[in-house]
Amino acid sequence: MLSYLSSIWDYRYFWFSLVQNDLKQRYRGSVLGMGWSLLHPIAMTTILCVVFGGIFQQDYRFFGPFLLSGMTVWNFLTHSITMGCNSFFAAEAYIRQHPTPMAIYPLRTVLGSGFHFTVGMLLVVALSLWFLGFPGIVPILTLGPTILMIFILAWSLSIIFGLFTVIFRDTKHISEIGLQILFYLTPVMYPPSVLEGRRVGYLLKLNPISPFLELIRDPLIYLKTPSLETFGVALAITALTYTLAYSLLRSWEKRIIFHL
Amino acid sequence: MARLELDHVDLTFKVRSCNVITLKEFLLGKIFTNKTRPNMEVHALKNVSFCVEQGERLGIIGHNGAGKSTMLKTLAGVYQPTRGKRIIEGRVSSLFEIALGFEPEASGWENISFRSYLQGETPKTISKKRQAIADFTELGDFLKMPVRYYSAGMLVRLAFSIATSIDPEILLVDEVLAAGDLAFQEKARNRMKEMMARAHLMVMVSHDLGSIQTLCDRAIWMDHGSVRMFGKAQDVIGAYMNSVKPETAAA
Repeated sequence: MLSYLSSIWDYRYFWFSLVQNDLKQRYRGSVLGMGWSLLHPIAMTTILCVVFGGIFQQDYRFFGPFLLSGMTVWNFLTHSITMGCNSFFAAEAYIRQHPTPMAIYPLRTVLGSGFHFTVGMLLVVALSLWFLGFPGIVPILTLGPTILMIFILAWSLSIIFGLFTVIFRDTKHISEIGLQILFYLTPVMYPPSVLEGRRVGYLLKLNPISPFLELIRDPLIYLKTPSLETFGVALAITALTYTLAYSLLRSWEKRIIFHL
Repeated sequence: MARLELDHVDLTFKVRSCNVITLKEFLLGKIFTNKTRPNMEVHALKNVSFCVEQGERLGIIGHNGAGKSTMLKTLAGVYQPTRGKRIIEGRVSSLFEIALGFEPEASGWENISFRSYLQGETPKTISKKRQAIADFTELGDFLKMPVRYYSAGMLVRLAFSIATSIDPEILLVDEVLAAGDLAFQEKARNRMKEMMARAHLMVMVSHDLGSIQTLCDRAIWMDHGSVRMFGKAQDVIGAYMNSVKPETAAA
């Protein structure tokens, strides 16, 4: 596994320059340019805050950072999946020319959306410090391993969905519908307390995304250190996804080219 | 020391008549679908074994679809053999499908970087070569333009210049000599000759028997995926031409 990771590292200039290019092209010809990746989450949060803040009767000082943190994590993961589906097709010409470790192509898409994730997270931290106050050193430090886990999860998911799409093209469409259903079952827009006590409440406990949201929100929104149990569950989910991605990749990697 | 060896290599791949699994196939499994939509299995390489050593120049010849390009891609590591072993000593540089794989929205300059990084360059090594690559393309200010506005010929110039900027140990070439307009072709031919002379080992695929004869000392004749003959370039080309002649006479 280490030799595989190091071969990915050997190609770092290649995939990193492609990521830079993707970001540059995204805002090509726009007046604000990169400013959009800051303005977009601010605008979305404001809109949702106004609309749903009223419905759920929430204070914007709490609801703003709450919404933004949820949307940032959710968007990162879903973009990694939906764009990961296309990652191998987009790289077809490179794959046909040069043998590379295939994981670099999903990595390219994940790092692209990872940039927006980073901007969003910085914004959450700023809002949280401003509206809610400083949670203390330890809660802030837990964000390090949390974000690393989310990144590994996103990369693994985009590899898995990328590989499945190559073999079975309908994966992309099915996953889009699945994600839409999952979205309503994930406490992104509403606090988990809304569903608790109801019949569907147990779905929140089964939702694989929930622990990650908790790990982000505990320090930044509720100003406390996340429980070790939540960390354990998140770690298990990440490790499982990673192992699946790695073993699928090792057994399918060499055959991808025949299915493109 | 550069060395290339294929040891009893087989390469097969399945091509579905439609190349994708449909929802119906997925749900109904193989029970109903296999009769109407059979998988075509392509046996592209059959029990191929040979070895090329340092300093040798190998030409691959054969009719269309004989497995020449497949073999080259297997040597490059783009295709993984289904059975058998591929043994390689030395850094491989390949020249095939070079006109593909550009980022259409990025400029020529940027694409020079992307492609060079893929070929294993680093920011340090590339800063020296960049200008030389750009000069060879003769594209001048067009290099600042996104490559999606390039004509086919301009793309080929760019692709060729980048691809041939490397110092190859093992060079794999698939008929790229006909690149660009007349003036560029002459330049390209000289550049290829230089590069081939520098390479420690070369394998090339071509239909131009003349250029194989002048550039290569050994040759392989591929026929329907297997090696029909392997030996001195002159002998193999001679035998190949003899086998083709009666057919054309009959036709």
